[in-house]
Amino acid sequence: MKKSYRVVLFVMAASLLASCAGMLPSAPEDRPVSNNNAVVALMDSARTDAAGGKPDAAVASLERALRIEPRNPRLWQELARLRLQQGQYQQAEGMATRSNSWAGDDRILRAENWRLIGEARLKRGDHQGAQAAFDKATMQGN
Amino acid sequence: MRNFRNFFTRKRVRLALLSLTLLLSGFALYLDITVRMQFEGKRWAMPARVYARPLELYAGMKLRPEQLALELAMLDYRVAADPREPGSYRRQGDEFIIVTRPFTFWDEAQPALFLQADFDGAHMGALTFRDTGKPVTLARLDPVLIGGIYPAHNEDRALVRFDEIPPHLVKGLIAIEDRQFYSHHGFSARGTARALVTILSGGGVQGGSTLTQQLVKNFFLTPERTLRRKFTELIMALLLELHYSKDEILEAYANEIYLGQDGNRAIHGFGLASHFYFDRPLSRLDLPQAALLVGLVKGPSSYDPRRQPARALARRNLVLQEMRKLDFITQAQYVAARATPLGVVEKAPEGTSRYPAFVELVHRQLRRDYREEDLRSEGLQIFTTLDPLAQTSAERALTGRLTQLEKDRRLPPKVLEGAIVVSHSQNGEVQALVGGRNTRFEGFNRALDAARPIGSLIKPVVFLTALERPSSYTLATLLDDSPLVWKERGTTDWEPQNYDKEFHGQVPLRIALANSYNVSTARLGLALGVRHVMDKAHDLGVERDLRTFASSLLGADSLSPLEVTQMYQTFASGGFRVPLRAIREVMMADGQPLQRYPLSVEQVIEPGPAYLVTHALQTVVQEGTADALKYYLSPDLQIAGKTGTTNDLRDSWFAGYTGDRLAVVWIGRDDNQPIQMTGAGGAMTVWGEMMSRLDPDPLVPQVPENIESAWIDPGTGLRVDASCQGAVELPFIRGSAPVEIAPCGARSPVRSIKSWFERIFE
Repeated sequence: MKKSYRVVLFVMAASLLASCAGMLPSAPEDRPVSNNNAVVALMDSARTDAAGGKPDAAVASLERALRIEPRNPRLWQELARLRLQQGQYQQAEGMATRSNSWAGDDRILRAENWRLIGEARLKRGDHQGAQAAFDKATMQGN
Repeated sequence: MRNFRNFFTRKRVRLALLSLTLLLSGFALYLDITVRMQFEGKRWAMPARVYARPLELYAGMKLRPEQLALELAMLDYRVAADPREPGSYRRQGDEFIIVTRPFTFWDEAQPALFLQADFDGAHMGALTFRDTGKPVTLARLDPVLIGGIYPAHNEDRALVRFDEIPPHLVKGLIAIEDRQFYSHHGFSARGTARALVTILSGGGVQGGSTLTQQLVKNFFLTPERTLRRKFTELIMALLLELHYSKDEILEAYANEIYLGQDGNRAIHGFGLASHFYFDRPLSRLDLPQAALLVGLVKGPSSYDPRRQPARALARRNLVLQEMRKLDFITQAQYVAARATPLGVVEKAPEGTSRYPAFVELVHRQLRRDYREEDLRSEGLQIFTTLDPLAQTSAERALTGRLTQLEKDRRLPPKVLEGAIVVSHSQNGEVQALVGGRNTRFEGFNRALDAARPIGSLIKPVVFLTALERPSSYTLATLLDDSPLVWKERGTTDWEPQNYDKEFHGQVPLRIALANSYNVSTARLGLALGVRHVMDKAHDLGVERDLRTFASSLLGADSLSPLEVTQMYQTFASGGFRVPLRAIREVMMADGQPLQRYPLSVEQVIEPGPAYLVTHALQTVVQEGTADALKYYLSPDLQIAGKTGTTNDLRDSWFAGYTGDRLAVVWIGRDDNQPIQMTGAGGAMTVWGEMMSRLDPDPLVPQVPENIESAWIDPGTGLRVDASCQGAVELPFIRGSAPVEIAPCGARSPVRSIKSWFERIFE
């Protein structure tokens, strides 16, 4: 439970910083992943585990979070990122596509998903598909 | 000569002594091997233990107080006025105080937590630490133990490890059966002396057995009361003590001892006895229950708590009294335990698992990755996806509705059978599985093994195949529902009929699905190509070979409820194929994580067509064959579903999904006789009753970016102004909606073109 307090503190501190920064557009990482503290805590422990070389534990935490919020595109995206790191390129693409399907008009999120899909395709040797994905990533910005 | 004779005699004596020693040590060696083989055979087989999902607790979660109370009851948490011990709780209205049991989960060990939960209607309003009042972000209850996978030769055992045996039970055994257990060497000198005296005075061979001797006795197939057997047992007990620790011996004893009879089935071991008498795992027994089982050791039939309750009670209280004498329990515990009724379940449950059908699914999925002997002997811990709350709702809905349906339809009782599969609509976790109306039966599992013609449940696949061609088909496209004769070489002519035996002329595509018209669906499927439609079913997740006859378009092929669930899972998750999973994690006996079964997704259907199919399936519930679902669930939930009925009303199906769950229900008879009910009349009512107990989330699919909406006149399929009478707003894949706007009440495309010309030339 202690871990989750730290998360809440961290999120509070982060949002304080963000508000100090004033008009600067916020990167996706600065926004809380959810307004459900349980989901925020699980995302945090997933990141800690991923950084600590425990990708399986990280995936388990993200899946727990997804059971609570199955429509949260940030969670699906985080799973995509993890799978990419683990070399599971097909699953990385699947998760990023799923994230896109819930992303609505969140362009920043969509662009990042397409970038992840592009990288996954590149790693699988699909250069043409990768280029198409990177193009879509750029298009989201416009 | 004398010397010689002396020498000879001495030699003979020596020889005799030598051979006697040899013979004795040979005998001892033989006994040693026997006893070790017997013991090892019983000891090293630790079954895999199967757990339900742990209930995650967090503020704001969807959970009703009754559901939390049910979960705690299934976990055998004790109700306490002032809960302090792990595994106890107090409920006052909508306020719970819970002391959780410590538990080692796959990812972390959670200590006992002292929690307070408050409810706000159907949600948990607040979750705090009872002592500090600080909010709890997330906590887990320990998971319900739902079964084991047992060694083949011990199929009917509930083997337990030493650490699962309640300390009260161990103490009770020692108090009443063998007080010197932890200090003797396998036999008690006094007991043996007493036994010898009894034998010599002609009283027969009896009594004076230590726990070790009692265990050894079980290694023999036949009971025998001779001095020789007694001697053999004594040697074997000594040998056993030489090789194994006291706890190991006690563990083997606990799994071997005879404790009752169920018809011709012998109840061996405290684990099975605990299920047999109390319908709960051994680790969850309280003091008086443990004392009762200990009391049974002396004579399971003379102290049978079901047939001889008074004697059983006296025996239990004697055990308690002995425990008190040795100060194993406090006076308060003694008084409280004595006052407790026997608490034996009236009818012995079938098998040791409350959910044998689900455990079978788990077992089958495990068999793909593990050797059978490892599953049955390595003590693996299997964490599954079963949601006991969903499972309970599914079981109650099926058994309750089947009984009612038999009454309503004047069918003989117990002829109807059924099966249910419930999954999480987004991640494919199987939350409940019912294999028949006798939910404790470990036999035929209809959810997995009853492959039946799926009837109209195939239709969404036909319509999906069409909607993937937006330039030709939209939800508004008019289909031809006039008589159809299909000629195929080598088969008799096929003339599909509608359920109402009528033809409906030109019908909008979405209405053809909503009303489950056979003729227009068949004509559509034939135009698309049967093979294409069946390939689409495979894309959706059907692995079984499907035939490509015209009748396949109307569901002549057979699938099990589980296979249907896999197919509909792809609809429910917006075109993403998500393999159904029953297992989350596998852990070794020592708590080390072994394997995860992760979530995986693959997009197999474009989001646009997937969205349109879900929209059409929502129409089925709003105004089609499933509109009676409104008697169970609010139309605001926007549920998507499809009814299925087969020839001569033999099978009744319903497949549907909400925002959070997908469920498939089948009803039929094992002898495949007609049941006189449609999908809506049978399976759908079970589905509705079950879901209404589960507070489903409304189904609000994300609108894909390439979807636009247009107002359509259903009669003509033409685009009209939103203000026109009867106009409906429908989603279209961008660019596929009719472009022209027809005036209100236009009758046909011809007339609308004419009016357009008229407008120009007027």
